[in-house]
Amino acid sequence: MKKIYLTCWLALFALVCLPAVLMGQDYPTNAQITQRLKALKSKYPNLTDLKSLTKTTGGKDIWVLRLGKGDADNKSAIAVVGGVEGFHLLGVEMSLRFAESVLANNADVLDEATFYIFPNMSPDAYEQYFAALKYERRGNATPTDDDRDGSVNEDGFDDLNKDGVITLMRVKDATGPYIMHEADERIMIMANKDKGEAGQYLVTSEGVDQDKDGHFNEDGEGGVAFNKSFSYQFPYFTPGSGEFPVSQVEQRAMLDFMYERFNIHTIFTFGPGNNLSSPWKYNAQGARVRVVTSVLSDDAKLNALLSEQYNKTISQKNAPSNPGTDGDFLQWAYFHFGKLSLGTPGWWVPTVKEAEGEKANADKNEEVNFLRWATQEGINDVFVPWTAVQHPDFPGKTVEVGGIKPFVKYNPPFAMIDGAAAEHNAYLVSLAKMLPSLEWIDIKQESLGNGLTRVTAKLRNKGQLPTHTEMGKRSRWLRKVRVDMMLNDKQSFIAGQGMTLIDAIEGNGFVEMSWVVRGAGKVNLKGGAAHTGFATAELTIK
Amino acid sequence: MLCGALAFVGLQGANAQEKIFRAAGTPHQPKVEVSWNRYYTYEGVVDIMQKIAKAYPNLAKVESIGKSYEGRDIMLITVSDFATGNPDRKPAMYIDGNIHSNEIQGTEMALYTAWYLTESFKDVEFIKELLKEKTFYIVPTINPDARNNYMNEPNTASSPRSGMIVLDNDGDGEAGEDRFDDLDGDNHITMMIRKDPNGRFIKDPNDPRRLVPVAPGQKGEYEMLGQEGIDNDGDGYVNEDGIGYYDPNRDWGWKWQPDYIQRGAYKYPFSLPENRAVMEFVMKHPNIAGGQSYHNSGGMLLRGPGAEEDLATYNRDDVRIYDALGRKGEELIPGYRYLVVYKDLYSVFGGELDWFYGGRGIYTFSNELWTSYLMYNENKGRDAQYDFDKDLLFGDAFVPFKSYNHPQFGEIEIGGFKKNFGRAHPGFLLESDAHRNMAFTIYHAYHTPRLSVQSVEEKDLGGGLKEITAIIENDRLMPTHSSQDLKYKIERPDYVSISGVKVVTGMIVENEDFNRVSEQKNNPEKMQVANIPGNSIVKVRWIVSGNAKYSITVDSAKGGLATWSK
Repeated sequence: MKKIYLTCWLALFALVCLPAVLMGQDYPTNAQITQRLKALKSKYPNLTDLKSLTKTTGGKDIWVLRLGKGDADNKSAIAVVGGVEGFHLLGVEMSLRFAESVLANNADVLDEATFYIFPNMSPDAYEQYFAALKYERRGNATPTDDDRDGSVNEDGFDDLNKDGVITLMRVKDATGPYIMHEADERIMIMANKDKGEAGQYLVTSEGVDQDKDGHFNEDGEGGVAFNKSFSYQFPYFTPGSGEFPVSQVEQRAMLDFMYERFNIHTIFTFGPGNNLSSPWKYNAQGARVRVVTSVLSDDAKLNALLSEQYNKTISQKNAPSNPGTDGDFLQWAYFHFGKLSLGTPGWWVPTVKEAEGEKANADKNEEVNFLRWATQEGINDVFVPWTAVQHPDFPGKTVEVGGIKPFVKYNPPFAMIDGAAAEHNAYLVSLAKMLPSLEWIDIKQESLGNGLTRVTAKLRNKGQLPTHTEMGKRSRWLRKVRVDMMLNDKQSFIAGQGMTLIDAIEGNGFVEMSWVVRGAGKVNLKGGAAHTGFATAELTIK
Repeated sequence: MLCGALAFVGLQGANAQEKIFRAAGTPHQPKVEVSWNRYYTYEGVVDIMQKIAKAYPNLAKVESIGKSYEGRDIMLITVSDFATGNPDRKPAMYIDGNIHSNEIQGTEMALYTAWYLTESFKDVEFIKELLKEKTFYIVPTINPDARNNYMNEPNTASSPRSGMIVLDNDGDGEAGEDRFDDLDGDNHITMMIRKDPNGRFIKDPNDPRRLVPVAPGQKGEYEMLGQEGIDNDGDGYVNEDGIGYYDPNRDWGWKWQPDYIQRGAYKYPFSLPENRAVMEFVMKHPNIAGGQSYHNSGGMLLRGPGAEEDLATYNRDDVRIYDALGRKGEELIPGYRYLVVYKDLYSVFGGELDWFYGGRGIYTFSNELWTSYLMYNENKGRDAQYDFDKDLLFGDAFVPFKSYNHPQFGEIEIGGFKKNFGRAHPGFLLESDAHRNMAFTIYHAYHTPRLSVQSVEEKDLGGGLKEITAIIENDRLMPTHSSQDLKYKIERPDYVSISGVKVVTGMIVENEDFNRVSEQKNNPEKMQVANIPGNSIVKVRWIVSGNAKYSITVDSAKGGLATWSK
């Protein structure tokens, strides 16, 4: 049934082509992102709300696009986040495509759910893809002293071979720890001393040691990295982390926005961290301690279920494992915010078999695999051949510049995105349909005589997802499910209360409420929270 | 204008001579008259700060470092001898108070410090020297909104504690919907009690202010109903959602944890505007080498770590320095004990002192001001407060129980200790404790690093080369970089530079006798020294050519500047 649905949906997507002008042939620039967001706002004025939360140090807008109908801020919501890493262009495009696709094809999902799309959280770093000198950048435009020596941005990359991209640099040197990979000599790997291998090369990023401190390119432009500077397992005093957690204006603007939107139930991140291809693993010790380091047990089960559904929807398999990294956004959203947090890169390099005549990639080296995949797909121009350069720091030595080009490992050619985007759009829509949604059922009244009536009713969560993750029950940033029993002024409670707070309702679960009321006439029931939506019912006591 | 001013001072002098005799240790004829036996609202505090700066423009200046949630300026007073060096380049002591709004007296203690330093500069040689060498950055209140709320609105001795942001504390979707109610209209939130045949308390027959539990098997007369208030939102709970609640001292950027782990945390580190202003000031002032925050109560000189999980951060070298300062503090302030937060108080993640130390490498204490010890200069326990109120305050600290007709509880009695007692010093004990706590911060400030070029030796190496060895001394307790600072390279290295000669190479001499040196190949004119330890020296050596005159400069973020010239 599901499969049929998905196939239909894909066909529909193919029919609804977005204007080619907006789509472009390559990943969109920040200006094009803004243009596409504004186009959605003007095409769907009743379904969208577009807001710039702040400007980064680099002067770029941080956009949030709300997709929703009616009282959208009081409907269960999913935040969709792209650009958590500046070099992950794909995440930006995936989040934009999702917004475009929902509005064009699935607007009915907005009857029950709201989406907040944050298409690009690293616009400063993202810009590096379009700059004259291209390199994979994580940090924003805030000046930082990455090597903490008292000077700022004093030793960045240098384009030694003048090709406009930063790759690697290898120096033939008996003291160097690197050798060529057996299966592909273009790839440099560490010599394994345990196997008796001796190093032959020094390998570092392309550049000169500008400040003569013995380190190459250790303090260039590129300040604080969005995905390395959140409060969960913050990596203190490391390059890109900033001086303390959540130090940057774009992070604060986003968090302030989310902390004020109590309807956010789930946060979905397109970024390197992946708990969808394989779920987070529960660790009893890590879950038991005060400073929790493991997904809690109920949430691990939920994650496993969602992962299973993800793998049914998404055709790509064998994703590289990455449960998250220190200070990242994906883990923050769960461990510190208490929300259901799901993440995926959206695409990864498929594992390929060696072609005829090629040596086996015995150690499953990712870069060797990448080059082989690119060749098989006919994708050229992903490698800068090693070429000798003169290097001031290594007089008299053979220095070559070369290596895999920046961006290509994480971002497929633009023309290849469609399939992955369509599948992820479908998954996100299916996820929205699983959000908690409440209804009153089995409303009964029972006369106890003498004008007293016992009223019972069940508040049911017809969504597949629980109202609160196990972590969310602990968080003050998810409200409790509030039940109001509203009497008329001639009625009074003999048992029970006008307002009751409930910690959580399981997916497809319910709570049963009971009151004893004196007096006849109409009573009103209301139950819910911003992140579950509200259910109302009416009853006339005879 | 000038003549007039002089004449006025002269006249005042004559009067003072007749009527006032100098007490040792207290500023004589202060230009700014302040009573240190009472408390000041935010407006009163700012007024005193401005008077000090106006009276001593060469020693004090007042500025705003940011705005509070309700838009008040967070006012800082900088105290230093402005005629001697740039105050922002001298080793500095940062002092604040009142982070918890009800913990008011830290403000007066901080303010007393600014007043004492400026008023004593003229007469006390030690203070004159101190202000030549050091700077004090003093922010008397870093919670001005809720300070005023505590004083001007009905509160207990423990509320609001947070700032004035109102949050939803019970998760019902409404914020601050069930606050205290000052039922008897006296601006103090006291206790509600009710006669109850099943109650487990009686009024002490010898002292009707005291409710005491009855012995097992005995019948009581009263039940306790909690703090003054009514159930405003009809949820069956009284006063369950008031101002706040969050804790400004769980909002700092070292090992911060969210609310479910650390109750009171807000959104992320420095999500409160008041703390953000302090953080921004500290980040811009790397010369801050010592820190002090004032809380109440209990008579404690606290250092971190706030949490056992952070035990490894406080390493042995730094603990030795904390111990030296803390033990001196115990000596200076009778009744106060030097303690460690996580071990002796309770667990705190994201506290101010941990960020100052863990995040910036600054040796920092939090003093819990006021202890019941000070009532009788001995530890008589908490019950002594009843006698103290009766015999020394003559009942001024207590609201006698009076009956009240409560809309939900019916006939009750309201009474108890006032909000200004129990945590805040009674007026007559305030000045004395302010002076002692100030003395502790002065000791702390005194022991921030003091650098000098102790001596310079030259040796002719022949061939037109000369070896110059400079001994850089730090004659105070603290190093220029705490161990925590060194571990993470929080602050840049110290620079020891030579100018005027051609430098061939430079090195740090690790062992003179065996010529163990570490050479700095790049830019040897500006030697980078990772640290200049306390009560110690560092030897820097250059090989130079030529015979020109030269000068040597020491430039340390926390240790200040020192120069030497030939």
